[in-house]
Amino acid sequence: MQANTYAFSRKSLFSLMALLLSMLLFLAGCGNDSAGGAEETKTEPKAEEETAREITHAMGTTTIEGTPQKIVTLYQGATDVAVEMGVKPAGAVESWLQQPVYEYLKDDMEGVTIVGQETQPNLEEIAKLEPDLIIASKLRHEEIYDQLSQIAPTVAHETVFDFKGTVEMMGEAMNQQDKADELLAAWDERVSDFQGKIQEKMGDKWPMHVSVLNFREDHARIYVTGFAGSILTELGFEGPKNITDESLDVVKLTDKESISQMNADVFYMFMEDNEAVKKTHDEWTSHPLWANLDAVKADQVYTVDEIIWNMGGGIRAANLMLDDIYNRFELEK
Amino acid sequence: MTNFFAVRTKSGAISFQFSKKTTIIISCLSLTAVFVFILSLSAGSSFISPLAVAGHVFGYGDGSYDFVLNTLRFPRALMAFMVGAALGVAGLILQGIIRNPLASPDIIGITSGASVGAIIFIVYLMGTVSLNWLPLSAISGAAVSAVFIYLLSWKKGVTPIRLVLMGIGVAALMKAFVTMMLVMSEAAITTKSYLWLTGSLYGATWMDVYAMLPWLLVFIPVTFLYTRTMNVSELGDDVAKSLGINIELQRFMLLFISVVLAGSAVAFAGGIEFIGLIAPHIGRMIVGRSFAALVPVSALIGGIMVMLADIVARTAFLPLDIPAGVFTAAIGAPFFIYLLYRNRNN
Repeated sequence: MQANTYAFSRKSLFSLMALLLSMLLFLAGCGNDSAGGAEETKTEPKAEEETAREITHAMGTTTIEGTPQKIVTLYQGATDVAVEMGVKPAGAVESWLQQPVYEYLKDDMEGVTIVGQETQPNLEEIAKLEPDLIIASKLRHEEIYDQLSQIAPTVAHETVFDFKGTVEMMGEAMNQQDKADELLAAWDERVSDFQGKIQEKMGDKWPMHVSVLNFREDHARIYVTGFAGSILTELGFEGPKNITDESLDVVKLTDKESISQMNADVFYMFMEDNEAVKKTHDEWTSHPLWANLDAVKADQVYTVDEIIWNMGGGIRAANLMLDDIYNRFELEK
Repeated sequence: MTNFFAVRTKSGAISFQFSKKTTIIISCLSLTAVFVFILSLSAGSSFISPLAVAGHVFGYGDGSYDFVLNTLRFPRALMAFMVGAALGVAGLILQGIIRNPLASPDIIGITSGASVGAIIFIVYLMGTVSLNWLPLSAISGAAVSAVFIYLLSWKKGVTPIRLVLMGIGVAALMKAFVTMMLVMSEAAITTKSYLWLTGSLYGATWMDVYAMLPWLLVFIPVTFLYTRTMNVSELGDDVAKSLGINIELQRFMLLFISVVLAGSAVAFAGGIEFIGLIAPHIGRMIVGRSFAALVPVSALIGGIMVMLADIVARTAFLPLDIPAGVFTAAIGAPFFIYLLYRNRNN
């Protein structure tokens, strides 16, 4: 009996090992296969060769030839910039609000394929479009950069809100440096126009301190840098009066007693449109300390469009935001 | 007699028996796994017929699916299976050691330890250090929290109940830490962290597959060394001790295997929940309580569940690609409640 079991067990142990081994071989085979396939797609040469450019970006250096026609943009700011440069993207990621495309871009985005969300764009959808340039962001797409590069040359910006950096990078990648320079020059001109006019109007009250406020379900935030913050700084506004630590990008306030951190001459606030957020807003703004803030006393509290001021992230959004500020100070554009 | 056959090495280090019924069930499950695997290669933004997939796999394809199949779907489906299998076996071992059907890597702190490791990486190191190191950070988190739980439960030995209580305590502590980090960091980082916590197989690559495979190939077979311990310790520590089992050492080794399996799964796929809890339960419903049979069965069931969840995640809301963790929880939560309901009188 005992011997019997041994004989049998040996055999089954062997067959178990053989099974494992064959599975291993099968897997290894698949692996090799894929590596070969990947290289093939990578080395495929493009027809045009006149203007091969090397672009250095957040994820390395990418060589792009000619003028890409089919572009896929994987963050909101890149979509905005592509449209502003006069190039309708072949594919773009879904907007955060007003899905699938922000109202302010809608007219120029007809027929654009949505390739999923900014956080997890659908790689198969992107591949189906057969793009010749992909604009990504390291912040969002670092882990899929290699896969994106196998679909098409991919350039990545470090963040998602630096509209000037996005314009420069896309100008280079899309072989449209002139257009990019033009957009940035026009922006600089508008900025100095604004600075001149606001100085004239406000006199010695300029520069004003500004706070960009954001109410959330359970806390409030002050955006010191980011999209809106950096534009306001460029325009000459000063930051919140009581925040001296310049390394902070976002200040989160979880306690109403720290309301004085918000203090400034003017408040621009935006928030999501839902009950919980509205409740937070009402609670904070009805707090006695709120009434002590300079902007509240001077009746300089404004609710602004969250999409333009925070989510758009491109040069068109920046210009619309500037328009908004012109209007609020009743300046002539 | 003829309904069982035994597998035993000469030294007797590995020794277990399968019933014929179990063998049939395992074969059926393997076939199902292969079927679901082919389905996950077929399904996606564009459907590729299973025949074309088979043709491609065996080298008769015309190369048109190279990218979609080789680069995207193949590694992702394999990862899904491996992650599920690892979690299934990890959960099975934990439920065995602790002798509590509600034990699983996510409830007793291993997953939350890995989460802390991952979130620390995302908040402090992402951008400067390549994301390829994130799994290492997560697995170290899991290891640290497991050691922590083990040491805290030590009082002239470790009893299952202390392990559970300490595990739950440490899990709560880790979760509090994760919440704090999420509140303190900026929006983009929070988004990334949430995505990780939900658990996703998005962007799985061959590199991930090769990094994960050794853990499975080593530690799932090693589990078979402990079949006798597990079967006997079902009867309680005293019986196990009187039968000559060094219960402390064996328990430590088993815990170690469980942490390694759960940790590696979580490291590559994030906080995919409920698989570790449910796969062993379904396994017990179909093959009974034999540990040797439960190991492959839990692995297969876990693998199949995660593959299914990922198929749904990739295809249900096209063009959106949703984290698979959303759906494992959606399958898992009702089942969990059902278990509680069924055991209400015990």
